[in-house]
Amino acid sequence: MASTAADSTAQAAPTAPPSLILPPSQFARLQPHAYLLAHLSPPASSQQPSLRANGRSPSQFRITSANTGSLTHTNGSAVVRLGDTTAVCGIKAEILHTEDIPSWSVSHSSSSLASNKRRKLTSPAENLGADREDGSEETDDDDDSYIEDFSLLVPNLSLSTGCAPGFIPGAPPSALAQSLSHQILSLLRSTRIVRSKDLQIWYQRPNLGREELEVHNEDEQMDVDVEQDRSGGATPEPREIKAFWVLYIDIMIISLAGNPFDAAWLSVLAALRDTKLPRAWWDVDNEIVVCSDLVSEARKLSLRGLPVASSFGVFEADAAAGWRAVLIPDAEEERKIADSERKGIRRRWILADPDGYEEGLSLERVCLVVDRDQGGSGEVVIVKLEKNGGFAVDRKELKQLVEISAQRWEDINQILGQC
Amino acid sequence: MAAQRQASSASQTPHLSPAELSYLYTSLSLPGTPIRPDGRSPTQFRPLAAETDILPGTNGSARVGFADGTQAIVGVKAEVERTALGIQALSTAEQQDYAAAGNDDRGGGNNGGSKQGSVSGSGQGSWVQMAIEIPGFRDDDALPVFLAEMMREPLVESVSGGGEGGMVGGLKGRLVINRRWHWRLYIDVLLLSQPLSYPLPLLSLTTHLALLATKLPKLKSKGEEDPFFDDDWNAAEYLYPRVKSTKHSSIPGSISVHKVRPPVTLLVVSVAENIIFDPSREEIAVADAVLAISVTYDTDFDRLKLLSIRTIDPPSRLTQPGVPNSENVATLGSTTAAEESVIVNPSTGEEEVPGVWRPRRGGVKRATIAKMIKMVLEKGGVGEEVLDGLEGVEVG
Amino acid sequence: MTDRRRINGPPGGTRPPIFASSLESTSDIVAERPQRQRQPNELRKIFLKTGLIPSASGSSYLEFEPSTSLSAARSKPKSVIPPSSSLKLACTVHGPKPLPRSATFSPNLVLTTHVKYAPFAGRRRKGHVRDASERDLGVHLETALRGAIVAERWPKSGLDITITILEAEDDRWWGDAPDSHDAAWGMMNVLAGCITAASAAISDARIDCLDLVAGGVAAVVADETAGRETTSQLMLDTDPADHRSILSACVVAYMPARDEITELWLKGDNSKSSVGTDNRGLGHEALIDGAVDAARGAHSVLAEAVRESAQRFAGLPSGDFT
Repeated sequence: MASTAADSTAQAAPTAPPSLILPPSQFARLQPHAYLLAHLSPPASSQQPSLRANGRSPSQFRITSANTGSLTHTNGSAVVRLGDTTAVCGIKAEILHTEDIPSWSVSHSSSSLASNKRRKLTSPAENLGADREDGSEETDDDDDSYIEDFSLLVPNLSLSTGCAPGFIPGAPPSALAQSLSHQILSLLRSTRIVRSKDLQIWYQRPNLGREELEVHNEDEQMDVDVEQDRSGGATPEPREIKAFWVLYIDIMIISLAGNPFDAAWLSVLAALRDTKLPRAWWDVDNEIVVCSDLVSEARKLSLRGLPVASSFGVFEADAAAGWRAVLIPDAEEERKIADSERKGIRRRWILADPDGYEEGLSLERVCLVVDRDQGGSGEVVIVKLEKNGGFAVDRKELKQLVEISAQRWEDINQILGQC
Repeated sequence: MAAQRQASSASQTPHLSPAELSYLYTSLSLPGTPIRPDGRSPTQFRPLAAETDILPGTNGSARVGFADGTQAIVGVKAEVERTALGIQALSTAEQQDYAAAGNDDRGGGNNGGSKQGSVSGSGQGSWVQMAIEIPGFRDDDALPVFLAEMMREPLVESVSGGGEGGMVGGLKGRLVINRRWHWRLYIDVLLLSQPLSYPLPLLSLTTHLALLATKLPKLKSKGEEDPFFDDDWNAAEYLYPRVKSTKHSSIPGSISVHKVRPPVTLLVVSVAENIIFDPSREEIAVADAVLAISVTYDTDFDRLKLLSIRTIDPPSRLTQPGVPNSENVATLGSTTAAEESVIVNPSTGEEEVPGVWRPRRGGVKRATIAKMIKMVLEKGGVGEEVLDGLEGVEVG
Repeated sequence: MTDRRRINGPPGGTRPPIFASSLESTSDIVAERPQRQRQPNELRKIFLKTGLIPSASGSSYLEFEPSTSLSAARSKPKSVIPPSSSLKLACTVHGPKPLPRSATFSPNLVLTTHVKYAPFAGRRRKGHVRDASERDLGVHLETALRGAIVAERWPKSGLDITITILEAEDDRWWGDAPDSHDAAWGMMNVLAGCITAASAAISDARIDCLDLVAGGVAAVVADETAGRETTSQLMLDTDPADHRSILSACVVAYMPARDEITELWLKGDNSKSSVGTDNRGLGHEALIDGAVDAARGAHSVLAEAVRESAQRFAGLPSGDFT
């Protein structure tokens, strides 16, 4: 809520005729653009900082909180609150047998030997940081095609939860919901955040692995296997993928007050970090994959990096500017803009984490997804940059936005570290 | 959209004026002796014509027609199906679930988690599938879904003792052939015309008759063999077994008696202090409360037993209110004091001007519910009367 | 046909994980069955809060207290299979708002109820499209609420009530075979929760009601205790995971001030048991009374939540954003 002082200036400032006095809330509804503009550009005399109608500074994000693991029936879950926007993400893992994949026998049964070779290249006890090395990088690339080919990650976002008045419950997903689902899917794929290695369920002929034999012997060591063991000796039998874990990532936006993407992505991120998959193995007798229900044997996903999304909306002082500015400003205009900025007159504001009110007033949107190498100490990497709806944001401003996003990354890293 | 919404309520609100509603309500709420528009007594059912075994391609079928022209046909088909055991149960059950998503048959019934060899004596509720088709409604509209659940629920819920002619584990138990095989029952309910009143009594009676007439071929295989059956239809056994005895003599002239009978769902409404059975559309429109009560007869128990109760949203809540003269702008000033005397309705506790219709509000008292249930269940009560009447139809 | 508006999983379908322990012999699992730690007439604690969703005219969030077995499993996890679950749901109310132009005239408030499970709400993944049980719940909820709302105050208006169930109740203990009792007992607890939460949200939206309508569940359970023969007992607010066999259960929507029931849903066959009365035929009355007692318990929580909502409303300066 805005302070009353700001509200009074808002009424006096731009258009309202002096005879008509409106309470701030009505003014905000009748003249949303002028209302926000008045907040962002207080008269120089008032000595007030440029604040948004919701009391935040332009680069300030809303209070963010995350809570994981509260939903019983999920493998991983998270509740993320971004101001008044609430997203609940639940991940349920199911098993995809390779025999259920139509193209599997054609394309992969022959390559099981090759993948076995690769497996030996990267040592079984591959530690997390080591995969950025050149040798193993290649392996990752190859393996990750599984995720995309067999759609092992299935994110779906639902807005029909009564989160906002516009969405009819029970109706098919709205255009916004479909677009958000696809954005999350493409980000999951492009960041390669989930390792294919974590989702594979292998079957190894029992005479190969020492450790596997140890773990499995009570379950599946049959007389036949022991015989094989004796006869097979030390020659390694081929190891083959029998099944994959499929992660159904469902995001329910419980409350929508702007910027659903950041909230949804953060909830996916937190839920993925929370996700534990039980140990699973191929049961030869029953020809199915069987899991262990022991928590001690379940393992977490080892995620690649921590890509954090930050969205921005561009608010322009001239409401119609977006329609007229078809041409890129030439040198003279650029100088004019620079001049006016020096005088303290700004034409536009880039608002971080816009709420629902601000989203309705900004045409141009920027979404940045950044990550840092090596657990935060390394360089900032732009994972995704999306900008649409206008021409206003230029290179210089984008650089600033990357800095803000990097700062945001630190905050989120801390928030996720706590939960 | 609005039509769909209101369809979930007990029936489409008939277009009666507030004055008509008020008149109906007053005559139906006369203490002790309600006057029904068609002159029936409170517990009297509408006359109906019924016949069974009308569809030769089914295991059992029935047709019931009410005097107002509405007719329903029910066909029961039985198929032999392999019982999913242990691991198969775990791995196949969910594929069925996905295939059947959106069908009417699953009330969240069949979930996984079984263990090997645990399916022995008792069956599963999901073996009974019920589909209701009502003209003018889509399969997934609230009314057919609600009706199907309402009628399937008591069917699979009923448990019963063994003994001669008994059904161990109720209908579910009857469907078990052996450990690896069971019958799957498809009950298809078809209403032939747009429902004139709430179709529940008609559909329930027809389903009851069809189930009574349902025969399953005689099993020739023994024990755990793969089942094969006698192809002589005359040797087939009734789904609800009959006992050839006359010791239960409440039904005169019947040769065979059912020890266990399929449940029947009765529609009961309360208007003020009165309880009225088998309400017509107009009567339901002024009801304070509408209950669907499912009962069945079990000789073990030697009386009717209650299987399920559901409240149905009375359409009287959606009717248009009448305007008392004191508030009416057109007649303002012409009212007399006597007309404005306010009485309190004993059943709703609301202030009412006599002769002016107010949509019903609030719920129903526990005492009223108890009274409704009692009238259905008691010996010689409405429930027994209905079941006996239906038995007569079947035999004759 | 695939749903082109959603992201679909592998076309061949996937299977839920099968745990090795569920394939083993039954004997050692029985010991792990959660036991009811509450007295027969003791209810679970309910967390109910209103006004968490500002874009709705009214909203509420309801959560049942996790059972002792579940909280023990949370603090010291041993098995990845949760022993039981606790209901969590969010309810929003939008309206009263004008009916769409195409709708026919209605002299009363047109109520639309919508209950949807989140895909991850149960042990088994639910589909995105509402199934029969969800529609059934919607009808039950509508019946329960319509009796309480003073509908003729808003002619030509609509009220949308949407409930998202984030975590549902189990229908039975997971270790039991599906045939042990395959009726959807968990649905009844869910309905009771929906009624209470929706009632809070409606009050939060400042819709006139006759009374706060609260939901309650009671059940007749037959638990096998070692060595003794099966006895049946009336329990309030049953968690289906705690009980081997539920004979019959009842959920009511109850308005204490008027002592009236707006919705009654009773199912099951308890003719074999004698509960509450000596007369075997009257078990249902004890059951209904039990459910009403449970609803009275929920009502006290509901009243508290509504008072908070009213205080928050009064605390705000008038004419502010709502």
